[in-house]
Amino acid sequence: MNAVPGAGASRRAVLALLFPIMLVNLIGFIVPMLNLGLLSFKEALTGGGIGEKFTLANWVTLVTDDFNRELLLNSVGVSLAITVAALVLSYPIALYIQRAEGLWRSILIVLVISPLLTSAVVRTYGWVVILSDQGGLPSLLNAIGLTAPRMIFNTTGVIVGLTEILMPYMIVSLLAGFGRLDPRLEEAAATLGASPIQSFWRVVFPLTLPGVALGCLLVFVLSVSSFITPKLLGGGRVFLLATEIYDQAIVTLNWPLAATLSILVLVLFGLVLVVYGRAVAALD
Amino acid sequence: MEARKSSLFMTALVAVIFLYLLAPVILVFPLSFSGDAVLAFPPSKWGVRWYTALVADPTIGKAFLVSLGLGVIVTLLSLLIALPAAVVIVRLKTKGSGALYNLFTAPLLLPTIVLGLAILIAFASFNLLATFHGLVLAHLVVTLPYALRVLATALGNLPLAVEEAAATLGASPLTVFRRVTLPLLKPGMVAAGALCFLVSFDEVVITLFLTGPRITTLPVELFHRVEMSADPLVASVSALLIVLTLVVVLIVDRSAGLSRTFVR
Amino acid sequence: MSLDAIGSVGGSHAPGEAGYLSIEALSKHHGAARSVDSLSLSIEKGELVALLGPSGCGKTTTLRMIAGLTPATSGRILVAGNEVTAVPTHKRDMGLVFQSYALFPHLTIAQNVAFGLEMRRLPRVEIRTRVAAALEMVHLSGREDRKPSQLSGGQQQRVALARALVIKPSILLLDEPLSNLDAKLRDEMRNEIRDIQTRLGITAVFVTHDQVEALAMCDKVAVMEAGRLSQVGTPEDVYERPANPFVASFVGRINRVAVEGRGNNAVAFQDQLFRTEHSVIGPATMMVRPHRVAIGTDDGARSGTANSLRGHVVRVTYVGDLLQYDVDIGGTSFMVEAATRGIAAAFRVRDAVRLEWQPADTLVFGAAP
Repeated sequence: MNAVPGAGASRRAVLALLFPIMLVNLIGFIVPMLNLGLLSFKEALTGGGIGEKFTLANWVTLVTDDFNRELLLNSVGVSLAITVAALVLSYPIALYIQRAEGLWRSILIVLVISPLLTSAVVRTYGWVVILSDQGGLPSLLNAIGLTAPRMIFNTTGVIVGLTEILMPYMIVSLLAGFGRLDPRLEEAAATLGASPIQSFWRVVFPLTLPGVALGCLLVFVLSVSSFITPKLLGGGRVFLLATEIYDQAIVTLNWPLAATLSILVLVLFGLVLVVYGRAVAALD
Repeated sequence: MEARKSSLFMTALVAVIFLYLLAPVILVFPLSFSGDAVLAFPPSKWGVRWYTALVADPTIGKAFLVSLGLGVIVTLLSLLIALPAAVVIVRLKTKGSGALYNLFTAPLLLPTIVLGLAILIAFASFNLLATFHGLVLAHLVVTLPYALRVLATALGNLPLAVEEAAATLGASPLTVFRRVTLPLLKPGMVAAGALCFLVSFDEVVITLFLTGPRITTLPVELFHRVEMSADPLVASVSALLIVLTLVVVLIVDRSAGLSRTFVR
Repeated sequence: MSLDAIGSVGGSHAPGEAGYLSIEALSKHHGAARSVDSLSLSIEKGELVALLGPSGCGKTTTLRMIAGLTPATSGRILVAGNEVTAVPTHKRDMGLVFQSYALFPHLTIAQNVAFGLEMRRLPRVEIRTRVAAALEMVHLSGREDRKPSQLSGGQQQRVALARALVIKPSILLLDEPLSNLDAKLRDEMRNEIRDIQTRLGITAVFVTHDQVEALAMCDKVAVMEAGRLSQVGTPEDVYERPANPFVASFVGRINRVAVEGRGNNAVAFQDQLFRTEHSVIGPATMMVRPHRVAIGTDDGARSGTANSLRGHVVRVTYVGDLLQYDVDIGGTSFMVEAATRGIAAAFRVRDAVRLEWQPADTLVFGAAP
């Protein structure tokens, strides 16, 4: 009996309704991803084609090559730095928003989320302007009398820019985790003799750890896979996994190696998820 | 429950961090009114030369039209494809429903650099590189999960009893869908549509792999320009894009309550 | 289960004669679990029948199967002799009032009520007239252009009722329509629904877990337990002559004591014999309604053929029109209800009392074989 659209619909009808999305998913997602995985086990021929045999050559290169090893370490290191910076800067904002009320709170949240709706290029461009030698931050700092470090086309610039770009994700994750916070807990701590700082470290912060873990996971994963910002702010001189994947694919045309690097990124994701899972389990 | 008032120090600290957070987006606006020939901030003189240059630039104009057309088509297709899927997944509670939902939203979990590469390689064999329909397909891969998520949630919030009531009053399943389900889904569809449009319009990494001299989108064109030299033209384009985004968000908020959708 | 129960299932006709709404061996299975187990019921035209039972007894599932919203696993449903078991909901011509009212939030009250008429493609003028009449019948004229969210719970419920009635369905189904209302409103609506149903002569099935509602409103009560019909009868049948201990304790309050049946209309309890209306042998349950028990001072005298027990008062509860006594009769508690005659005449805790009641008011049920 199908009184309601969908409920009890015939097999045929279900397949018909699901067909379009399955088609897109197949052609645009499943087949390409499977192909990518397979490609990492094929070799790029010097002539420009792709070999037929399966080989582990790409993976061997990855592990033994100094450049690739440094690439991985660099990517992880930079991402960790960005994650920590984002956490430290986002936490006060998230706390502030949590304590705000009504319209002001909604406005703040919209202000935090809206940058996410603009293109990565637009947001990165803003940083290119700010950090460039001819204007923006360095000249401002010089004007005050501080010697400004070089912040464009180097790792520092990438970290400064990418941290800001990813902060909204951290803030939203923290806010989600802040749901467990109750001002009365801080009041209770105060009545028991805790100073504001003690109250924060012993009561507030521990309760927010699940949100912290989620935010760190999100930001780390996003920064490891980030391409636009490192490419533009790094000016081609900062080498991270994402930029290398692009270069190998478009410039060098070594698709198998690019594929291998991509699988490496996914493996890295998997590892991070495992760590996250352990952390969350330990928190409970 | 009394909310604790933040101290002055906190407020000041938060204000500074907010400045950092919003700096690039805000800075773009004064920069776009720079009268300088090259990029410099602060500008030595002011003017609208970069807006006039924008209007006169043929490549940007073409890229904008491609992005716009792409966005509209991808949005319409996303809604058309995701809605039936959402109906099946939400109303037909088979053991497969959860797995299907996870499968169809899986593309969201992957980094666009990896997806872009995979699609580049696959589309090369399908002969879909640098074609408009190839771009449509590639964009659908990333917009469909969003559309499905929003529509499935909206549909899930629709009480089944209301649809059943319509049936008891004599409405066939198709009529129930037309007269009851769709009207009640309108806010969800508007939100999903706006999301899909913005995601497609701003999409750059996957698109980068699929564009070339023959066809390009606005974000990709901007990317190349910033890569070459930080052209102040990009500032005027960026300013307009930010305004466009705000307009879309406001429209959605009016009809569907955006802040309510994302914030508890 | 006593023979009475089997006899009264199936309604009050000779076998083979179907009612207006006829349910035959209706079942709903989920794997091994049976939420409705081979239920058969016959309802006359114009009757208001209650499906009464505790949560989970299958009454709502049965109603939904009648409406076609839930497919039956087996069995048949017939309306005026025509089988509708395989007919989709929208072709069954039944009005359903949902527990949650299920009003269309995006339509006005008038549009809500008009919906069913639009489905039947009636001319616009007629729709408008009938909608106005329906709204007047439920005392909501003047609110046509409001949206459901602007109405109170009671008003929404009346719109739901109007919407189901305006299509003049052959059968009206109501799924616990009063349970979301507060007590006072519930009583009001109960009478209104009953009046409208009688006036229009509509055959109706009313699902509820509230036995007061069932007894007060309905022509027949069908008591359900665990997917099966325990008893079908008039409110009086079901209250005065319950077919089994479950029905006896579900409909109204009752005392329950484990006894030993000795045959000859007598049972034994605490070395005493009690006179009953039926004979049973072996382990049995004796049941008496609290308000059929007289409570008096324990002065040794017994009046005639009455059944009698001695005990002392453990608790006195004053609820305005009634005094409830909990009396300890040697390890078991016996509830007695007496009309209030001024608090001064009441017994107090620890008073020794004698309880008496008539054999005619003594129910007894043998243990299941």
